[in-house]
Amino acid sequence: MSDAYDALRERADAAWAAWQHPERPRIDIAIETSSLAGGAGDTLRALEAEIGRRGAAVDVGRVHGYGLQWLQPLADITWPDGTRVLYGPVTAEDVGLLVDEATGLVGAAANLAVGTLSGRRTGIPPIADHPFLAAETMGRRLLARIGHTDPESLDHYIATGGYFALDRMLSRHQDPASVRQLMIDANLTGRGGAWFPAGMKWNFLAGAAVEERYLICNADEGDPGGWVNRVLLEGDPHLIVEGMLTAAFATGARHGFFYIRNEYPLAVQRVRQAIADATAAGLLGDNILGSGFSCTLEVIRGAGAYVCGEETGLISSVQDGRGMPRVKPPFPAAAGVFMKPSNVNNVETYANVPLILRNGAEWFRQAANPAGTDIGTKIFSFSGDIARVGFMEVPFGVPLAKIIEVCGGMVGGGKLKAIQAGGPLAGYLPGSLLGELSLERAPFSKHSALMGGGGIVFIGEGSCSVDLNVMFSEFLEEESCGRCTTCHHGNQRMHEVFSRVAAGGGRNEDRHNLELVGSSLAYSNCVHGQASPTIMRNTLRLFEREYEAHVAEHRCDALRCAGMTRFRVADQSDPNLPAARDICPTGAIKGEPGAFEVDDSLCIRCGACTDLAPRGLVREAAPLGTAVPEQRVPKPPGVPAAAGRVPLSFQTTVIARPEGGMGGPPPFRR
Amino acid sequence: MPLETEATAEIRALVADLRPDDADMLEALHRVQHRYGYVSQEAMYVIADQLRVTPAHVYGVTTYYSDFRTTPPPEVTVAWCGGPACRLKNGAGIRDAMQAVLGIELGEDTADGRVGLVAGQCNGSCEQAPQVWVGERVVGRLTAARAVTLARALRDGADPASV
Repeated sequence: MSDAYDALRERADAAWAAWQHPERPRIDIAIETSSLAGGAGDTLRALEAEIGRRGAAVDVGRVHGYGLQWLQPLADITWPDGTRVLYGPVTAEDVGLLVDEATGLVGAAANLAVGTLSGRRTGIPPIADHPFLAAETMGRRLLARIGHTDPESLDHYIATGGYFALDRMLSRHQDPASVRQLMIDANLTGRGGAWFPAGMKWNFLAGAAVEERYLICNADEGDPGGWVNRVLLEGDPHLIVEGMLTAAFATGARHGFFYIRNEYPLAVQRVRQAIADATAAGLLGDNILGSGFSCTLEVIRGAGAYVCGEETGLISSVQDGRGMPRVKPPFPAAAGVFMKPSNVNNVETYANVPLILRNGAEWFRQAANPAGTDIGTKIFSFSGDIARVGFMEVPFGVPLAKIIEVCGGMVGGGKLKAIQAGGPLAGYLPGSLLGELSLERAPFSKHSALMGGGGIVFIGEGSCSVDLNVMFSEFLEEESCGRCTTCHHGNQRMHEVFSRVAAGGGRNEDRHNLELVGSSLAYSNCVHGQASPTIMRNTLRLFEREYEAHVAEHRCDALRCAGMTRFRVADQSDPNLPAARDICPTGAIKGEPGAFEVDDSLCIRCGACTDLAPRGLVREAAPLGTAVPEQRVPKPPGVPAAAGRVPLSFQTTVIARPEGGMGGPPPFRR
Repeated sequence: MPLETEATAEIRALVADLRPDDADMLEALHRVQHRYGYVSQEAMYVIADQLRVTPAHVYGVTTYYSDFRTTPPPEVTVAWCGGPACRLKNGAGIRDAMQAVLGIELGEDTADGRVGLVAGQCNGSCEQAPQVWVGERVVGRLTAARAVTLARALRDGADPASV
């Protein structure tokens, strides 16, 4: 090992020992995007005030949440003997209990205890025994530091083995080719959802003809319902820095970009901090750890464009432009940022690199699905109509039924209607397939869907597939870069058709037109357009009856679609009806106690009234021909807002049928 | 390039360390928007000059990204989360209710410049679903009824921190 590393390690070990066995009790608050959404900022302020008011001998620290997001804000107490207990949810009102507990009133916060992170405490089980973590059968590798260390501390990272593998690689003057080969031997594949072998990508870059080349970390995690990268960026930023440094060494790159989406401001801040701290410690910049190897990193903050998650879109965005994907080839390894050879990997791919470098390919391959096709562990985030929302790290191949079980089942004991994995480009599968599905690629592709980058949304029976297609097609339309007519018009048509179906104006030819749009989208330049019909196709094939009920029978069984439902006063005796009348944003509820009624022509079906008077008002199926509130109909593009609402009839789009009748989709030609 | 004024000099100082062909465009736009709340036409001219591109190019980039504004921001911006977890919990109803109260659609501001409504993107705090952001602050576990109350309060001038 290098002397420089040993010196860093010595300092880090001392800091880490003091963190694990503090002189006086310390209360750590989880500070990250999800905890802050749950009020961790208020908790922290209240805690500091409470400690100040009491003059309590307690310190305050910072961690990343452990993954049990439904219990946010999470907090933990570390006692001088090294015992550490996780608590949640700790609101601003609960901080007194935590201070009591920390200062020796054993059991004061017992009701908030989740589990022990280290040591033992009577009556509190180890966190590993928590039912939510029952699927983490390989333990936490990528998430090893999450919830244990201060994510902003370089010392904590180093003391827990960080930069060890990098230093060993540099001080032994390892052959860059052997590092690339190690990633191939480990079978590390792209975690963003494409699963391309990372080592092969690195070989492409290493073999580039031009000396000046770039590395890019794709942290533009735009899929709604997925936040795997966010956890790593906010919870262990040095892990990604070390992964990129290793990749730079292996490929000959000397500069790297983090491209982080604008929705993750804390990730931007923490990665910038990590880069600054690593640079100050001699782990980044010129002559790293005295080895002669040099590399710099910088953060680029995105600005709200989903398609920048596509690698060529990301490259366009980095080089001062609109983030529009371009046609491949040339591939980034030949002409990427500033037309120089470049390599783009996902955050989680880079995160695996230091672990493989440290522990070897064989260790990495220990975690795999039963078929041995998907190697390693993977972080997944779970949301939707489940009782426990959060993230965890599992080996591939865990049955989805097991995941629903650890996530506490569906909210209210309801049934699973659908599974939406991997964001709006990946797929939409019915709950009846639950028994066949597991967290690996094959079962998803078998049903023409993709597993994607790690976000899984469980959808309960109260939802409507047509309504969800309105949402996804709107997103896809909005996020199309606009270059290919197939994509920007195709997605507009898709959104229009689904909006019209949801508004009660479905027509028999819509289905054919949707399939036609889907087949022409295949000709788009980039994966955004090519994959955008996936959910629509899944829906038409696997939720056929539900779709047809909307079109042919004007029926939305989930009572979600505006055009097929209405609100009616069901019980005049509900004392909450006056409040419901007052809350209605359009004044659609009229009358006096005993004689309330809903004016259907004003009602926009927002549901505010039933929130307040669930007994007095019901949402029910509307008879055919019910007037559709215009508010529901999207404006055509190019019409400024000030122009007001556009009558429904202008929305009609006729898609020409191919000559020779309906036919099938055109054959795909290369 | 228009004449140098006090305003343009201030913008110039803000982006003075940024370089052409150095992946600095988004950084320049973020700095300007952070400082002024939006990217004005004169700022586009200054950035173009600094990064040696045409003002049209800067305009193209600015308007390509949904997080940059080209007009002064309202006093408070409400970002509605359009993600799936929120949608499952009546997210659409919450949007429609707020639009009806404020008389605007997503992407618009009220005529008095008080409240703006934009589409926000899922950031993975889905345990709070359905949620909106009032400024930087998350207001989670909403109902349509609460959204109506919130939108009315903001419309009538309530302190955004109190709703």
